[in-house]
Formats: sequence, structure tokens, C-alpha cells
Amino acid sequence: MLRTTLAGLVAHRLRLLLTSLAITLGVGFISGTFVLTDTIEQGFRQLFTADADKVAVAVTPKDEDIPGDVLAKLKALPGVAGAQGLVRGTAPLLDKSGRAAGSTATSGISVATGPLDRTIYVSGKAPGGPGEAVLDENTATTRQFEVGDTVTVLDVAEKRRQFTLVGVIDVGVDQNLAFTGAVGFDTATALEMTGAKGYHEVDLAAAAGVSPETLKKTVSEALGRTYTIRTGEELAQKLALDSNVQLDYLVLVLLLFGCVAMFVAALVIYNTFNILVAQRTREMALLRCIGATRGQVFRSILLESVVVGLISSALGLLVGLGLGALALSALSRFDAPVPSDATIALTPRTIVLGLVVGLLVTVVAAVLPARGATRVAPIAALRSQVEEQTFRAGLARSISAGLLLAGGLGLTAVAIWVLDGDIGLLTAMGGGAVFFLGVIVIGPVLISPLSAFAGWVPRKVFGVPGRLAVDNSRRNPKRAATTTVALTIGVTLMTLISVITTSTRETVVGSLDEQFPVDFMITAQYGREDGRPLLPSEVPAKLRALPEVGLVAELRQVDHGGVTVGSLPDGAAFRPEVTSGSLAALGPGTVALADDQAKNLGVRVGDTVPLDTTEAGRVDLKVVAVLADGDFNQALPYTVTLADFEKYYGVVGPARVYVKAKDPAAVDASRRAVESALVAYPTAQLSSAAEVRGEFDEAFDMMFTIFAALLGLAILISLLGIANTLSLSVHERTRESALLRALGLTRPQLRGMLSIEALVLGLVGAMVGVVIGVAFGWAALQTIPNETVFVVPVGQVLLYLVLSALAGVLAAVLPARRAANASIVGSLASS
Amino acid sequence: MTMTTDVRAAVVARGLSKTYGQGDAAVHALRGIDVSFATGAFTAIMGPSGSGKSTLMHCLAGLDTVSSGHVHIGDADITTLSDKQLTLLRRERIGFVFQAFNLLPTLTAEQNIRLPLEIAGRQADQVLMDRVVETVGLRDRLSHKPSQLSGGQQQRVAVARALVSKPQVIFADEPTGNLDSRSGAEVLSFLRRSVRELGQTIVMVTHDPVAASYADRVVFLRDGLLVSEVTQPTPQSVHDMLLKLEA
Repeated sequence: MLRTTLAGLVAHRLRLLLTSLAITLGVGFISGTFVLTDTIEQGFRQLFTADADKVAVAVTPKDEDIPGDVLAKLKALPGVAGAQGLVRGTAPLLDKSGRAAGSTATSGISVATGPLDRTIYVSGKAPGGPGEAVLDENTATTRQFEVGDTVTVLDVAEKRRQFTLVGVIDVGVDQNLAFTGAVGFDTATALEMTGAKGYHEVDLAAAAGVSPETLKKTVSEALGRTYTIRTGEELAQKLALDSNVQLDYLVLVLLLFGCVAMFVAALVIYNTFNILVAQRTREMALLRCIGATRGQVFRSILLESVVVGLISSALGLLVGLGLGALALSALSRFDAPVPSDATIALTPRTIVLGLVVGLLVTVVAAVLPARGATRVAPIAALRSQVEEQTFRAGLARSISAGLLLAGGLGLTAVAIWVLDGDIGLLTAMGGGAVFFLGVIVIGPVLISPLSAFAGWVPRKVFGVPGRLAVDNSRRNPKRAATTTVALTIGVTLMTLISVITTSTRETVVGSLDEQFPVDFMITAQYGREDGRPLLPSEVPAKLRALPEVGLVAELRQVDHGGVTVGSLPDGAAFRPEVTSGSLAALGPGTVALADDQAKNLGVRVGDTVPLDTTEAGRVDLKVVAVLADGDFNQALPYTVTLADFEKYYGVVGPARVYVKAKDPAAVDASRRAVESALVAYPTAQLSSAAEVRGEFDEAFDMMFTIFAALLGLAILISLLGIANTLSLSVHERTRESALLRALGLTRPQLRGMLSIEALVLGLVGAMVGVVIGVAFGWAALQTIPNETVFVVPVGQVLLYLVLSALAGVLAAVLPARRAANASIVGSLASS
Repeated sequence: MTMTTDVRAAVVARGLSKTYGQGDAAVHALRGIDVSFATGAFTAIMGPSGSGKSTLMHCLAGLDTVSSGHVHIGDADITTLSDKQLTLLRRERIGFVFQAFNLLPTLTAEQNIRLPLEIAGRQADQVLMDRVVETVGLRDRLSHKPSQLSGGQQQRVAVARALVSKPQVIFADEPTGNLDSRSGAEVLSFLRRSVRELGQTIVMVTHDPVAASYADRVVFLRDGLLVSEVTQPTPQSVHDMLLKLEA
């Protein structure tokens, strides 16, 4: 039997190739995930271990920075060969146009020298004096600075200081520095620039003969419990652990997509084996005639799946290596903080997991078809014609489908109307998955009406080939259902993501319009000080003096005593919706409350609420209005007049300044005027509604592209499935095609017929996917507590339908060509 | 042996050769055949197994290419036509009845009958359609799928399909090969009546002397050569000729 099986495999190698490809891609994705994350992890560990070798003991503060006298004390401890305090604060780098680079201030750090130096230099050298600085590679590239350039950095007093750029460093895996960018100085300059009161870490080198553990003990005894003290090794472990938490998320997300791909692959394999078994009915029957037992037939099919599974999983591991390397280079190109030059890691776990998953999925998917093969009666060997498959929905199928569909809907309903938050979202998605299983079960029943629907136009437009194609597409409902469901999965998820991203985008944009009823907004750079970044208080006055500027409105805002209080900006544009009372009544000693806040306090318009202030102590305020929650722009809990605000909290800089051009047609001119007025305030961030929207758009597009790319694989596999099913159907219908050719169907017409069949299959799969995707996209949005608008991206959804249909046609190219080029005489004679 | 260039010939072959393979492995299926088939006549092609009778039919019908020689169907030399032109010619001028697997399983009997016309984009001649359907006795089976029809009924549908497009010639390849004798007789009588009553030209390949006896004329092939012919055949005369050829 083994020999027969292997001979059969060799004979059908072409047909099994597409199946193997499905597994190979699935396994490739999963093993690629592990290759990528293992490589990153190993790279991290190597870096951390290298660091740990240099540092015997590291001291980090629990809250406040480590003051200089503690550093001096540490230096003097017995067994300490050297101590290096590391400074970290903010030192906003100005870009070439003289504006602070980025919305968050650049980190200012000290660059260590000597044996405790852990810095990696991309080019240049360490700063050798107070006039020299280094930049991190990413910032240097994006802001176009090179070694030898002069860079301007603001010191703690916002004074411009100039430095010669002497080196470019790699911040490695420090997520924080990777985000903010870093400018490095020698330690004294770093302290001066950032105004840091101390060090955020002190590294110690041990004297000869002193073990890190001994040194740690000495340091602990000297410093007590105020600081965290770790040996270099412990530090490396902690850093590795921190980075692994982030890696774990990456693994989880990628594996989720990997599972989708594997599930699709399983459907493709199931279908292929089913068809292979059906085609080999006579072969099986012959084997049974000459004495093979049912068990032997079963095992031979299973053995076939084992061989296919093993070979394609092994190939999948190779693909995974490639994918992992590719993803890594893509990540480092996008400046993600990953160790870029790490060697690709293929761990035994990846190998075992890849092989086991691939093998298991293949074999499990082949079990049902193999069982079907055992039911072949020996007499079937003598029948000449393949019987037409007829399909009737059995009671068991109807009941189980009904239960799954109802269960899925029920779960989702509970998620929408009972639960909320993350649990609600997860439940809704779980409901979606259950519902989808129901769709898979009921699929064969849906195929016939759906393909009649999808085939309505082709039937009318393409004449006889069109009609025959549509008939063929529903000829074997079970096979068609399994084929299309694979595509449906991909389309469902794509639609779901489209609906969610589009709705969220619309919601954000809608609230932006609400939030941004002006031409420009000016905010302070983040990260400069603790708490809310504020603009210099003279900025609004300077802007009001500009002739090109119309309205200048400022929002003052403080967080004090656990609540956020804001002033009401001037201008009708900033009047939020009022649920009760009136903003016109907002005068001295009164307050407008956000809806939530009023509910929490249990107060209404006319009641009095207390408020703790910095300047006026505790004041009692009369509530004159309750403000509705905006979509994203939630009303501040407490809103008072500007005069009252200054009375309660003194004169503080505005959190935001809104600017409207005087002449709506001359927005550019007023922008230039505002820009020149802001030259003196390099950290003020000027943004326009269009820019903010652009940033959001970019973020959404990026997210969407990543998801689409991850789902692309599952869709590719499902297309392989369509190609596979079609080529096997073409094989089954060899004589039929020959007959049609004899009766006068031209080659292009025959090819067209198969393309239309594939088009209809693709369209059916996509239609179902789009409907489910939109429905569950809506459900998912309902579980989000914020008010979100529900938008169906009609263009995108239509595009999916068109693309799926086209993809079906693409999948049909090779099978159709083979069918059209077959010789009529030869095909008529074949059995 | 007929060498007549009858102006009324529906199909004429001149010096028809067909060789499969090359060099030592070459198989000469047809070795230069000259034959013509008269319009409105029922001709049977016979010969022992391997004599090349099916190959001849495939070449005559434009299903297979020829190695040398010419085949005319009406005024068209089909050996010079492209695949596309050949397909269109088959569609317009040729009807087929095969031994088995004649019908598309997804279509009803009536749809199968209309299929060639629809492929050609032509309207069925409703009078002819009714007459054909009546003659083959399929009126009450028109809406059935092939799987619901007996073998004989399926072949009758195939014959009806060949007839309704009024082709210049119908090629039938062992049309009764898979049928019991009664169903076979029905199909053959039907073919014969269509020649008598509708003036249809039919060329039939068969190895059955009884089937051949329904024809007006029987031509005999052996080893790729046309070796003999019998007009107004009877089962006995055909059988005798076959025995003579195989001897």
C-alpha cells in the first residue's frame, strides 16, 4: 500500500502542488512570526548581555533623580573602580527651519566615556567638550544633519545653544529614546542643558577581584532602600523582560493572523483531498476489488496527507526564514527600535512548531475525505461515468447551522446591549466567529441562490458560455461552498477592518471639525515639563497684534485637586452643545459642567458646586449650564470665564491658542505672519486642521495597510484554493469541454466560460464576506463606549467585490488555458 | 471505390493521411484516402479495430488535424482553416453524435438540443424543432436532465440536437455502441428517417454490421486505406465483406 500511495503522489504531484503551497504559506507565516520575534529577542539579549558585561552594578532611582552627592559617595565606596552618572532630560533640538523638531521634545542625554561607555556609534565620536554634541541616527536622518554640521538645541531656559555635531549614535532598543530622538552631550553639558538635578542611572565598574554580587551588597548597605540596585546581569534581564512584553503583543497579533491563514489553508486542503478522492473513485474501487481493506484505503489517503504535510511544512519553514528576515528589514527601515544587524534565529521550537502545525492541519483536514474514500464500493470500479453530485441540506446540517447562527447572533446581541468595553468587543468578535461557523455549515445551501444572483449579469451578458458557467458554479454546492468560504474569511476580515477604521476616522474627523473650527492651532511641545505643556503667556497678545489675523482665542487649562478646569475661549465657534442651562449666563462665580461631571456630582443647573483653587482657595460656584459630551472632544469637567480662571489659578500660559485668518482667502498669508511671530518661540507647535487630519489619515492608512498586508496571505491562500478547485473541476469535465468544443464553442469562449465560473465563485465569496464584515463591523463599533459614527466605506467594499471577482478570474487563468488547449479528440477518448 | 467528384458531395477527402509520432515510432493511421460523401445520403464507415475509421471521421469533421491531403466540407477546405475558423465551421455546418457522454449534465434535454444553435447565436427553426422532437418521441422528456434519461433516450436527444441546427453533415461515432439492441434500432431508424424525410447527410462510424445496414452505402477501411464499399447493404453483405477483409 505504501508503494501505491507514493506512486499516486508522484503521479498527482502537480495537483498536490497547489495544496502544498497553501500549507507552505500558512506555516511560513507562523514560523516567520517566531523567526522574527526570536531574532529580535536574541538581538536584544545580545545587546543587553554586552551591556551587562561592562556594568557591574547599576543604581536606578525609585522616583527622584540620583543627586550628585550620592554619585560621589558611590565613587568612594570600596570595590568601585569607576562610576558614571547617566543624565536624561529634555533638550529640544531645532530643525533646519529653526522650529523644535517633533511634537515631543528631543531627549537630552549624557554620553558616557571610559570603560562604562555603552554607546554604539554609527559614525563620528563622543562629544569631547561643551561645544560638541551627538545625535541619534533616526533624528539625524530625518532632520538631515551630518557630522560636522552645527546644531541648535534649546537649554532649560529656552535659550538657543549651538553645538558642533561630532557623532551619530544608535540608541539601540531604548523605546523611549527611539520615540523622542536624542541629543547627547558630555555629562556636565547634559546636566546644564537639561537642568537635571541628578542622574537617572548610575553605573558602577567593579575593582579587580570584586564580584558584582559583592559590590551590589556594598552599595545596598551604603544607600539603603531609596534606590533600586541591580547587578549588570539583573539589569540585562530586566531590560530583556521589558522588551519581551512588547514582543509578546507582536507575537499575539501576528499569530492571530497566522491562525486565520492556517484555517483558510485547512479549508483548501480539505477541498483538495475531497476532490482527489472523488476523482480517484475508480482507483480506490479497483484497490478494493483486488483485496484492499477499508482501513488500508483510509491509511493510504492519510499517508498521502502526511507526506504532503511534512514536505510543505518543511518548505514553509524556509519561507518563514525568508519572511522573518524580510519583516525585520522592513521594521528597521521604518525605524522601529529593533536590533537591526541581529543574525536570523531559527530555534528548535520554531522548527517543531512549524512542522507539527503544518502536519496536524493537513492530516486533520484530510481525515474526512479519507473516510469518504473508504465508503467507495468495489463495484464503482466498473462504472464509467462520474455521478453528478446532488446536494440536499440534511436535518443535522440545518439544525447545527441554525444553532450556530442563532448562538452567534445571540452572543453579539449580548455584547452590544449588555456588555461594554473590551469584554463587549471580544464577545462581539466571538459571536462573529460562531456566526461564521454557522455560515460555513449552511454554505452549500447558500451557494445556489447566491451564484444565481451573482451570475445574473454574466448570464445575460456572456450568452451560452455565461449560462453554462453559472450552472457549473452551482453544480457541486459543497465543493463550491468550501472553496468560496476560504475567500469569504479574508473578505470578511478586510471589510470588518475597513468599516472600523473608516468609522473611527470619520468620528475623529468629525470631532476634529468640532474641535478645530479655526484655521490654526498652536500648542506647546510635549515632554518639556511634567504635566500639561503650556505656551508662554504672551503668545496670544503677540498674535492679536498681527493685522493678518482675525480671531485669537485661548484655552487655559489646569489640572488641580483631581479635576480639570478650563476657561471658555472667545468666539462663537467654541460654544459646545448645551444640554441644559445657557452659556450666556456664564459670568463671575458661575461654572458650566460637563454632562458626566454633573451626573457624578448629582447636580443640576441652579445648584452650587465647590472647587479647590490655587489662588482663591475653595470657592463655591453656581452651575449655569451643563455641556453635552462631544464625540472625541469631550467638554472639560469645569468651564469658567477667563477672568475667573485667572482669579482662581493666576496667570498661566494657554494650553492652546486658536487662530482664524482675518481674510479667509488669505490663509497662507496669515500663516506666514503667525509663523514669523512664533520665531521667538521655537517649541510652539503650529498646526492646521488639514495637517492634523493628515496625521490622523496617515496613522489610519498605516494601520489599515499593515492589517491588509497581514490578511493578504490568507486571501492569497484562498485564491490558490479557487485555482485548485477549478483545475480539478476542469480535469473532471475534460470530456464535457471537448464536447462543447466539438459543438462549436471556440477556445476563447471555453476559457471565458471557466473565467466566468471563477468570477461567480469569487463574487459569491466576497458578497457573503462583505455582508458579514459590515454587520459585525457595526456590532464591534456598538461595543465602543464612545459615541462613534457608523460609516460603510462603500467604495472600498465595492472594490473588494470587484477585486475578488478579478482575483477569481486570475485564479482561473491556468486551469482555463489547460482546458482550452486540450485536444478535442484526445479528451473525448479519455475516461 | 468512389472517385467521383460529385457536385452534390457534402464531404470530400483527397489524399488524406494522418501519421502519429515520428521516425521509427510513427504510426500511419490513414495512408492517403480519397472519398466523398453524397449530400442527402447515409454512409457508414466500417473496418476492423485499428483500421483508422475513427481517425478518418475525426479528420473529416475537423476535430483532428491531417498530416497531408485535403478535406472539403461544401466549398470549404477545412485543412486550411485556423482553429477559430474550424470551430465556427463546426458550429455552422456539422452536427455530432458521439458514442457516449453526448450531453451536458447540467442542462435539460431541451437545453441540450438547443445548445449548438445558442452557441452559434441562431434562432431555432421552431417547426423543425417540433418535428424533430416529435419524431424522436421526446416531447414529455424535454425538461429532464440527462441523468433522468435512459441511454437510448440520451442518444436520441443527441441526434435531435445534431438535427435541429440543419448541418451540412452529421458525423456519428458509434452512436449505438453503448445501447441495447432495441434502443440501438430506435436510434438508427431515426437517423435513417432523418435522411429520407429531412434530406440530412449522415456519416456514421460503426463496427456493427446491423447498424451499418441502415445506411445507403458502406465504405470499408483497413490499415488506413479505403479498401471496399457496398451499396444498399444488408447485415449479411456487410458481415461477409468484414470477414473477407479480416481474412
